[in-house]
Amino acid sequence: MDRRSFMVGTAVGALMLGAKGLAFAQDAEGSAPPLNDFVRNETVIVHNPEGVIRNPGWFNIWVNGGGGTSNGLHQLTMDTLWYIDPDGGVPGKSENAIYNALAAEPWQYNDDFTEMTVKLRQGILWSDGVEFTADDVVYTVTKQMETPGMQWSGAFSTQVAEVTAPDPYTVHFTLQAPNSRFHAIFSVRWNAAWIMPKHVFEKVDDVLTFDYNPPLSLGAYTLNSFDPNGTWYIWDKREDWDKTTLGLVGQPTPKHIIYRNNISTDNRLIEMRNGNLDMIHDLSPEGTFSIVKEDPNVHGWFTGFPYAHPDPTLPMAIFNHQKPMFQDKRVRWALALMLDARAMSMASYRGAATLSAISIPPTGTHPRDYHGPLQQFMIDYEIDTGTSKVKPYDPTIGQQIADMVRPQFGDDVPTDPEAINKSFGFGWWKQNLQAAEELLTAAGFTKNGNQWMTDTGEPFAFSVQIPQEGVINRLGTIIAQLWSQAGVQASAEVAPDIWDRVGAGDYEVNIGWAVETWGGHPDLSFFLDSYHSEYVVEPGQIQPARNWMRWTNPKLDEIIEKIRGVDFNDPKGLEYGIEFVKLHLEEMPNIPIMSYNVFSVQSNKYWTGWPNIENNYANPVTNWSNGKYIFTQIKPTSA
Amino acid sequence: MQGYFWFAAKRAAQLFAVVFCGISATFMVTHLSPISPVESALGRMTARSNFAPEAVESMRAALTEMYGVNEPLINQYFNFWARLVHGDLGPSLIAFPTPAMELVMRALPWTVCLLLTSILITFVVGNVMGALAGYNQNNRFLKAFGVVAMGIQPIPYYIVAFILLVVFGFIWPVLPISGGFAMNVTPGWNLAYIGSVLQHAILPASSLVLVGFGSWFLGMRALVSNIVTEDYVTYAELAGVKRRTIVGSYVIRNAAVPQLTALAMTLGGVFSGTVITEQVFNYPGLGSLLVDAVNGGDFSLVLAVSTVSVAAVATAIFIVDLLHPLLDPRVRTD
Repeated sequence: MDRRSFMVGTAVGALMLGAKGLAFAQDAEGSAPPLNDFVRNETVIVHNPEGVIRNPGWFNIWVNGGGGTSNGLHQLTMDTLWYIDPDGGVPGKSENAIYNALAAEPWQYNDDFTEMTVKLRQGILWSDGVEFTADDVVYTVTKQMETPGMQWSGAFSTQVAEVTAPDPYTVHFTLQAPNSRFHAIFSVRWNAAWIMPKHVFEKVDDVLTFDYNPPLSLGAYTLNSFDPNGTWYIWDKREDWDKTTLGLVGQPTPKHIIYRNNISTDNRLIEMRNGNLDMIHDLSPEGTFSIVKEDPNVHGWFTGFPYAHPDPTLPMAIFNHQKPMFQDKRVRWALALMLDARAMSMASYRGAATLSAISIPPTGTHPRDYHGPLQQFMIDYEIDTGTSKVKPYDPTIGQQIADMVRPQFGDDVPTDPEAINKSFGFGWWKQNLQAAEELLTAAGFTKNGNQWMTDTGEPFAFSVQIPQEGVINRLGTIIAQLWSQAGVQASAEVAPDIWDRVGAGDYEVNIGWAVETWGGHPDLSFFLDSYHSEYVVEPGQIQPARNWMRWTNPKLDEIIEKIRGVDFNDPKGLEYGIEFVKLHLEEMPNIPIMSYNVFSVQSNKYWTGWPNIENNYANPVTNWSNGKYIFTQIKPTSA
Repeated sequence: MQGYFWFAAKRAAQLFAVVFCGISATFMVTHLSPISPVESALGRMTARSNFAPEAVESMRAALTEMYGVNEPLINQYFNFWARLVHGDLGPSLIAFPTPAMELVMRALPWTVCLLLTSILITFVVGNVMGALAGYNQNNRFLKAFGVVAMGIQPIPYYIVAFILLVVFGFIWPVLPISGGFAMNVTPGWNLAYIGSVLQHAILPASSLVLVGFGSWFLGMRALVSNIVTEDYVTYAELAGVKRRTIVGSYVIRNAAVPQLTALAMTLGGVFSGTVITEQVFNYPGLGSLLVDAVNGGDFSLVLAVSTVSVAAVATAIFIVDLLHPLLDPRVRTD
């Protein structure tokens, strides 16, 4: 063999090896029926915000094994006892946004909340025809209690003393301590403890290494096929869909649902315009403005500006209370009054923000329960700066922002005051540098030129931790800028590991969120229970979610304990929630700013009937598992 | 010949030393990273969910034990090498308990095929055109080609890729803009699959070729411009040797040696992936796998990707070192 032949042969061999690898890297699971089988009036295509799913054949959702979650797996195949919708819920099928799913009725506690009894539905079938019974629930709990490392093993092993099935349709829990919110483990907000098929898992030697492929379904859809590279999943409607809890709400209309993930923002726009996506999880504000303008079929949660869906999550400026400079509430209030809500809204969301001055997200049913009723209280609310008394609340901020964006978006911007409240928020603090100065002076701070000095004579300087990108990054940058302009040395610090650092207390001010609620229900325990001082750790230790501030207050503990003492649906829960809001205003432990608005859009090209602010039966943000109810409400545009 | 083998043995020793040091350095960097795999996993498991603080603490303890991160660093280091010599890089922590190498081998062929193809195309086109442009310095077509090459090369890659995306995905939607192959084909040795893979690779490969050939072109043109003034070229021309022979055997062959060295380095870099290409065209590959691994604190997976990359670059250099004396007899091996 001469030298040339040797080199050519080597090159060809290498190419062949590479091509062979490409074929072997895939497997038969990637095969799918011809696309013609997925005609568009029978198929919904949904954008899943997960990146590349690294372990695409992993469907064991009870173990964190690198499989997808919102790829249809938890929306279409999983089920549990109750669902609590972050919006209104399907009328007539839910009560106060609560669905009885696998449970036939609401939870029943004994008087001291140490036992919970659940009556289950009859006639619900797994996709292999086996009936769902109380044994599945008992197995779900006991298996995870005895297997550390499973998704809900910690939740069960720290709370459950015993779980039994007195009959096939009744489950009885005995708890280790009184807990009036134990049912929350089985109540879906984004997800919850999903029920395992006992008859499958009891035959598995090691559940921690079991991939559960293909997954059995307790939902109305089963797996058709998936991409071995982890970017798409196809699900088919079960013929016996009426033997699932979704069937009790209505017949799901799509015969097939395709979830596609790892789609860059630009590609999402193009794919929806090309008819290859019906639901997009999120876009940038600018991307949303562009697509709703260019494509009349596309719309968001609000039919006009600001389009986005407000999630029951509340971005805020979080102070680290274990840093001495933030331990005086006058300082925290002063920092709040240095901010300009209009600037924050424009910089972060281009005006499409829904503001909230109180520590409750302005979404779901919260405006009805909290923001609306508290409006007059807010208007009258007064703070004593030590020099003067001021009323810091400005109920016209939403109107001002609406007027600012109207020249660009015209008639898409609402004019009705009620609509403005819903879209832009009920109001926020008016920037008041004079009051801020008085508060800081009262706290012992002094001014050296334009620079504030702390009571110990040091420059009032701190970093504002922000994520790498997105609206929260923009929000944090403008906040740091506004504080700097007011004489505080605040510098924005991009932190790729922002959640690790906030948990470790390695921050001064963090732009993130310490409040997430049910959305459709006024109970605040979802985040508030973890605010109890018993959970606040020493500096250097990891703080459990969500009291990142490490805020302690005896009155706060009292409120939490009162909430623990009443049932989830007890009207007193709302009263205590309002008490919390007022205490928060008094203390300003963090500065709530706006809801986390998700620019989720849907296309009416092939399907209509999507939820929106007028018909708020479900959350349109595609990775929430309660989005499954949408599939019972939409209709194809052509027969 | 004995000298050549001694030369090869010394280079092989260097290869092992480089691989050992590279992997050890990567081990230390990944394990000293402030990103905790346990906290990352807890973040994924508890985000948006309702877990009591006691439950989270219990999960933290369980995951710490499962991931083996409670051991002293030095023990983890020796355990790592003990596993590595058996070809085991341990389980991925973002896809626990799947072996990290399994994830790498899933992504690797996509990256290798895409980059290998596009690099070879850019190398051949850039060098041949560069050589011709250097030899025929008054040719109008080659001058124009040079202007195009110099015009495209400074454009940021993302812009070129985005233009291709908009033109061929939206304005004139004739090419797929997402994924490695279509949903309706069965992976394997069949025409439909191969055709779909090729079709999906057109846009990402074109974007890499467009921004890549300029540097080869400019480098080769400069090299050839110097070589054509050498005495042996003038002598060959005076001796009436055919122009094709002069260009192919005397000019390009001599200019190719440094370009081949650069090619080997570039091919070694293939194993690090192309993050932007993968993100713009949602193309499978190693780049985004590495980003996910870093963000998730998955040091096993970072080490797996890095080990493949370090070994590939070192091996590529080793092969070039071995080929050098064969390609250029002037290189001494004694």
